[in-house]
Amino acid sequence: MMHHTTKAIIKRELKSYFTTPLGYVFTVIFLFAIGYVTFEPGRGSFFVMRQADLSSFFRYIPWLFIFLIPSTAMRLWAEERKSGTIEFLLTLPVTVPQAVLGKFIAAWIFIALALLGTMPIVFTVAYLGKPDYGVIFLGYFASLLLAGSFLAVGTFFSAITKNQVVSFILSVVFCYIFLMAGSPPILETLSTLFPKYMVSLFEELSILNHFESMGRGVVRLSDLWFFGAMIVGWVYASMSLLDYKKAN
Amino acid sequence: MKGKKEELLIIVLSALSMVFLIHIGSTIGKKFQLDFTQENLYTLSDGSVSILKKLNAPIKLKFFYSKTAANKGSEGIRGFNNYAQYVEKLLKQYVANSGGNLTLEIIDPRPDTENEENAVAYGLKKFYITQTESYIFGLVAISETGTEKTIEFFDPNKQETVEYDITKMIYTVTDPKKKTIGILSSLPIIKEETSPYMAQMMRMQGKKPEESWIFIKFLREFYNLKEIKPDTAEIKSIDTLLVVHPKNFSEKTRFAIDQFVIGGGNLLLLVDPSATVDRIARQGDSNSSNLKKLMSMWGLELVEGQFAGDKYLSGIGATRPGVPPSRLLPLVTCDQRCTDGLGDSISSGLKQLTLIYPGVLKFIPLAGVKGSPVLTTTDKGNAYSAGPRELMNPAGLWNKFSEGSSKVPMGYKVIGKYKTAFPGGISVEEVVAAKSDKEKPTKHRKILPATAESLVESAVVVIADVDFIHDQFAFKKTMFGVQIANNNSNLVLNALEALSGSKDLIAVRSKGKFNRNFTVIDKIEFESEQKTSSKTGEINGSIRKFQNEINQLGRMAKGGNIALIQSESVRKKRELTKKVASLKRELRSVKRDGREKVENIGKRLQYINTLLVPVMVLLFGFFYNKRRKKLTAAH
Repeated sequence: MMHHTTKAIIKRELKSYFTTPLGYVFTVIFLFAIGYVTFEPGRGSFFVMRQADLSSFFRYIPWLFIFLIPSTAMRLWAEERKSGTIEFLLTLPVTVPQAVLGKFIAAWIFIALALLGTMPIVFTVAYLGKPDYGVIFLGYFASLLLAGSFLAVGTFFSAITKNQVVSFILSVVFCYIFLMAGSPPILETLSTLFPKYMVSLFEELSILNHFESMGRGVVRLSDLWFFGAMIVGWVYASMSLLDYKKAN
Repeated sequence: MKGKKEELLIIVLSALSMVFLIHIGSTIGKKFQLDFTQENLYTLSDGSVSILKKLNAPIKLKFFYSKTAANKGSEGIRGFNNYAQYVEKLLKQYVANSGGNLTLEIIDPRPDTENEENAVAYGLKKFYITQTESYIFGLVAISETGTEKTIEFFDPNKQETVEYDITKMIYTVTDPKKKTIGILSSLPIIKEETSPYMAQMMRMQGKKPEESWIFIKFLREFYNLKEIKPDTAEIKSIDTLLVVHPKNFSEKTRFAIDQFVIGGGNLLLLVDPSATVDRIARQGDSNSSNLKKLMSMWGLELVEGQFAGDKYLSGIGATRPGVPPSRLLPLVTCDQRCTDGLGDSISSGLKQLTLIYPGVLKFIPLAGVKGSPVLTTTDKGNAYSAGPRELMNPAGLWNKFSEGSSKVPMGYKVIGKYKTAFPGGISVEEVVAAKSDKEKPTKHRKILPATAESLVESAVVVIADVDFIHDQFAFKKTMFGVQIANNNSNLVLNALEALSGSKDLIAVRSKGKFNRNFTVIDKIEFESEQKTSSKTGEINGSIRKFQNEINQLGRMAKGGNIALIQSESVRKKRELTKKVASLKRELRSVKRDGREKVENIGKRLQYINTLLVPVMVLLFGFFYNKRRKKLTAAH
């Protein structure tokens, strides 16, 4: 299965989230923010809607992830490159794919743990009414895949630059493009410039459409394929890039 | 420089290959899906699939949705995009299950285009959302022979029944005849139609023209109606039979109903343990109806002398003029809680039903018969028995009633093959016409043989109430004429529609929207409302008592004591004002208590969800790192 080196990297990286303040800051901000916006006073507020579902909760997940995940991902490689530890790391008996995979999986597990911290909302909804647990499960699964996709994008941009801020900004911009790809104003603008098939191709890249589709409780093979392609594609591109940099 | 170029090449190639991969996945992977929703929102029910499998000619579906216009419209209109996506996904499921007989065309009709003109010509509804943009959201099905059926507009509030609507449209496009409903009743519900001129003439002569019940007039818009006389021995040439209040039906009539069902006919039966609209019965006769023997052959029983009650569904009404309105157990006002989780297209989505003294139905399992409730109380409902006198005392019934722990069925649907209730047939009197003018017609008895059991399946829907369909409870007179008062008539219409379609159509499960309300909050509000209504009753009672006393004082007033009486009135008035003010304070406090309870729960849950875990994480971090440092120092 997984190489022991990769496992060792995962362990080391995961530990680092709990020994540095960054991991705690990320988790606390994320949990506080998602709790606040879910209960935020307004028409869409969870308690005002009075429906035992988590639509008010999952609606905000992409918009919090778009900032929080790049902030987690930015340090993955940019920090190593800036401090020069990347050379050291890659001289160890560790291949680039093992290192990339290890760091990526550790970050993903860390985000999954942060998501696990939102469990009180599930207990809340179960206390208040009769929720559809299938839809809630799929909502969490989709959130995890979304996090994986953003993290993969973040990993790539962290590998591309030494500067963490640049990596963060590039990741946010690209995540935003993927998030908004299916949004009506963008599609409308594109339809005035490009032929219809190009527009629909762009629409297919919309991460939000796939996320919302799963959030409604139905998972299509195309959704899984999309997230799979995003994660594998960006992680593989990161590996190729770092391999190339190592070779040079 | 070379390095940068190569880096860029890696990025571009990765991006392109990913887009290509995603495109392939989207094209192939859309057909395969797993539905995690409790309602199976994205999966067609067996009935729909069966109808689609039987299609043997191509049908074209044209789905019109003004996506571009919606995107330009207000937030409300953009919200329709979600529902349109759902409908589109569902339609794709229809195509996937049709064995190539259905084709789907998705059209975004832009203003002043041929597409928009076509949509309007098909009869789809068009709304202007801005001065230049119009909005269309409907479906057209066109058969090979050119028959067209439409769903004029997809109303997001009817999401539960959308599958039924689409399946029905596909079914009717292949079978477009207007159906005939036979109507058999012990009540005078159907009358010959009187022309407006004749009705006017009768009124001028001081006679009241006899009119059908309004729901019969309502049904005439959708069906050919045929009255079946209660002495009939055979029911034929109809598609579906509607039996209302079968009281004192002769053996011959019951035999005719039995054989109609055995022969594969579908039946909608309205029975009632106490039909308040049975005015003839007020002269001492019972006002209950039943088809006990026949129903037992279909696996159903109307529990004698029992009524379905539910404090949580009780309606508010006044039993007598002048009496303040209160919650009445016999008035069952059904909302979505009556159909929660039942998932039947007949009753699903009906949120406003009013039943009066509904009865209790029981399903007795029979081989080859499937039964499912279509209308129930909530799980706090219970059956109660009451004699004729008790029925007139709703307050007594309310106090006597004890909450139950399971839903009580008030409507049931059975589908299957049945056995006859008349295995030996029946003996009937036959009149033989005289051979010549001199002879008299002769009468003799003969045996009408019965078909022993069904060869094909048929469906029977029973609703344990008759009153609900009477003019008084289902319709209201407004300045614009007679209007539907609630969903009562829709329940009958839905049932007839399902029963006059194919068996597969009856089996189409409604998406059965589950009640996902905050039950905890609903309970608090209900209790608070109950306290409020009792306080309001107390206040009104005090005012009434005071008025009586004042009136009495007024009657006692004579020449000499008028001044005394006036001062007594003023004193009483002061007393009452004080009492009412104190009761109103209590009322405000009761209302406030209820509201505060709900608000406090909200606040508590908000604190738990925003602060609890973050604080726990910080504490964990603090102790974990402290321990780690200690361990490091020890080493």
